[in-house]
Amino acid sequence: MMPVEQAVGRPVGAAALLVLAGLFVTSLFVGVGEVSLGGAFTDPDALYLIAASRLPRTLAAVLTGAGLAIAGLVMQTLARNRFVEPTTAGTGQSAALGILLVTLLMPSASIALKTLVASLTALAGTSLFLSIAHRLPPTQPFLVPLFGLVYGGVVGAAVTFVAWHADLLQFVEIWTSGEFSGVLRGRYELLWVSAAMLAATWIFADRFTLMSLGRDVSVGLGLDYARMMQIGLVIISVVTALTVVVVGLIPFVGLVVPNMVSRLMGDNMRSAIPWVAGSGAALVLVCDIVGRLLRFPYEIPVGTVLGVVGAAAFLWLLFRRPAHA
Amino acid sequence: MFMIRLIAILAAFVLPAAAFAESVDVSTARGVVALQAKPRRVAVFDMAALDTLDLLGVKAAGVPDRVYLPELKKAAAGAEVVGTLFEPDLEALSALGPDLIILGGRSSPKLQQTSRVAPTIDMSIDGQDLIKDAEARLDTYGRLFGREQAAREAQRTFVAAVAAAREAAKDKGRALILMTNGPKISAFGVGSRFGWLHATLGIEPAVTSMGPGIHGEAVSFEFVRKADPDWLIVVDRALAIGAGDSQARATLDNELVRSTKAWKQGRVIYLPAADLYIAGGGIQAMTRVLAAITRGFSATQ
Repeated sequence: MMPVEQAVGRPVGAAALLVLAGLFVTSLFVGVGEVSLGGAFTDPDALYLIAASRLPRTLAAVLTGAGLAIAGLVMQTLARNRFVEPTTAGTGQSAALGILLVTLLMPSASIALKTLVASLTALAGTSLFLSIAHRLPPTQPFLVPLFGLVYGGVVGAAVTFVAWHADLLQFVEIWTSGEFSGVLRGRYELLWVSAAMLAATWIFADRFTLMSLGRDVSVGLGLDYARMMQIGLVIISVVTALTVVVVGLIPFVGLVVPNMVSRLMGDNMRSAIPWVAGSGAALVLVCDIVGRLLRFPYEIPVGTVLGVVGAAAFLWLLFRRPAHA
Repeated sequence: MFMIRLIAILAAFVLPAAAFAESVDVSTARGVVALQAKPRRVAVFDMAALDTLDLLGVKAAGVPDRVYLPELKKAAAGAEVVGTLFEPDLEALSALGPDLIILGGRSSPKLQQTSRVAPTIDMSIDGQDLIKDAEARLDTYGRLFGREQAAREAQRTFVAAVAAAREAAKDKGRALILMTNGPKISAFGVGSRFGWLHATLGIEPAVTSMGPGIHGEAVSFEFVRKADPDWLIVVDRALAIGAGDSQARATLDNELVRSTKAWKQGRVIYLPAADLYIAGGGIQAMTRVLAAITRGFSATQ
């Protein structure tokens, strides 16, 4: 477990930051309205478009990508398994169930209330998942993701069942398909809470790293294991619920990004966090830019693009030999 | 005794004659089908068909659990529930024992299954030439159910409603058709399911490059701003499917859409969503849609 600086060196870090900045700027200039490089500083209309539409969309992609990647990292630490993530192991589905229930019981609920309910159901769903996952024998690491898939499927089936009875199947489909086309100034700001969750992960990073050694070891080292578990659960649930409510389900980010980063630099969470957050942001930004360009001037949802890109990356992870086995 | 025997003999002659009732050629979405005229028990899964049959005074014996349009509640009242809009319940259908099953749109993939219960026709209508297809269906149902007179009268009123909408929309400028999906929007062009608005009513499209495609094209609000239409014609999908989130106005009311000519001048026409989206092609539903267009284009100058 080498610190980042030793593992890859400062120049690599600087280069990565440059790539992210480049994507950020590119994203500001990709869209239907006309914004040229020169015009961005002089043309008031171009400035307006950037402020009202491009910057919010870019920030939303960055916050979503960073948040989901970090949520995946925390979930993998808590489950002590590399192959789980919030959207496959029931957190996303639980959040969708919350939105569905609040829509049924209180159709006029505000977005904030919907987010709150979605966070609570995501919390309940994830707690149940982790409490069962911890009873699985640690000698069989593939049982956890397998159980996660089944569990996510069961919660998803519950969503479908309720939605089918209430004739809201298509409504759920709309809510859960992840895309940024509707993001504008004033319509994404809730996502900044993800940034707060990221900060929390940073603060507790060392303790999460201890948790990855297992309950007995970390308690022996003086860690309040139960409290840390609660904090981790809140981080995962809030980030996932926020994303589902504001932009929809975005697959694979939480799975692929932490895995790639851990291959390159090991499992020290504090040194991994900036890389995981940055790579997640870059991945979602790239996919959103591609989705905006492929059928210009029409859009392809970022969830669809990520489904393709993420599946390829996941296969690569599976077939490549682990670097830090 | 003799009388009873006589009646039995007479019945034996008469009944087959009734069974060989005249047959009617019906053009369906899958070609022309010969059907026995005047079916008595009909299960209707197509809301456009239910709407038009209601206008002709034909009562459906079986309907889906939900008809979505409040206007169709009366038409469905008293009928047996035989499945959902998407999924016919074959057991309930068998129990009903219909003479004819009418599918369309969302239920049309189930044709093979329901054909095992009773003769089934697929009366799906696509949006390319909705008005013409709606009239053709009206005529067909009129002949099939022996309501030619009522169909002809309805046809006259309908043609007048179409003409009124055409007249109202004439030379009023370019329009963009949008469907709102919760917080997201898609645009529809010539050749799409709402393409008849351009093709039949002569409303000029604000964007000419859009290809066909039943679900429209997902677009950003920047797209709407760039197209800068004189008119926005809006279908709220959530409202159409009864999702309780009727928020088309809230979705569109943002700074990018507010900068279009259409929004600035209050030229936003909200179409009765379920009439168009669920029962598109039904004569009564289409009359309401046409009335909304006529009203919308006449209101502002």
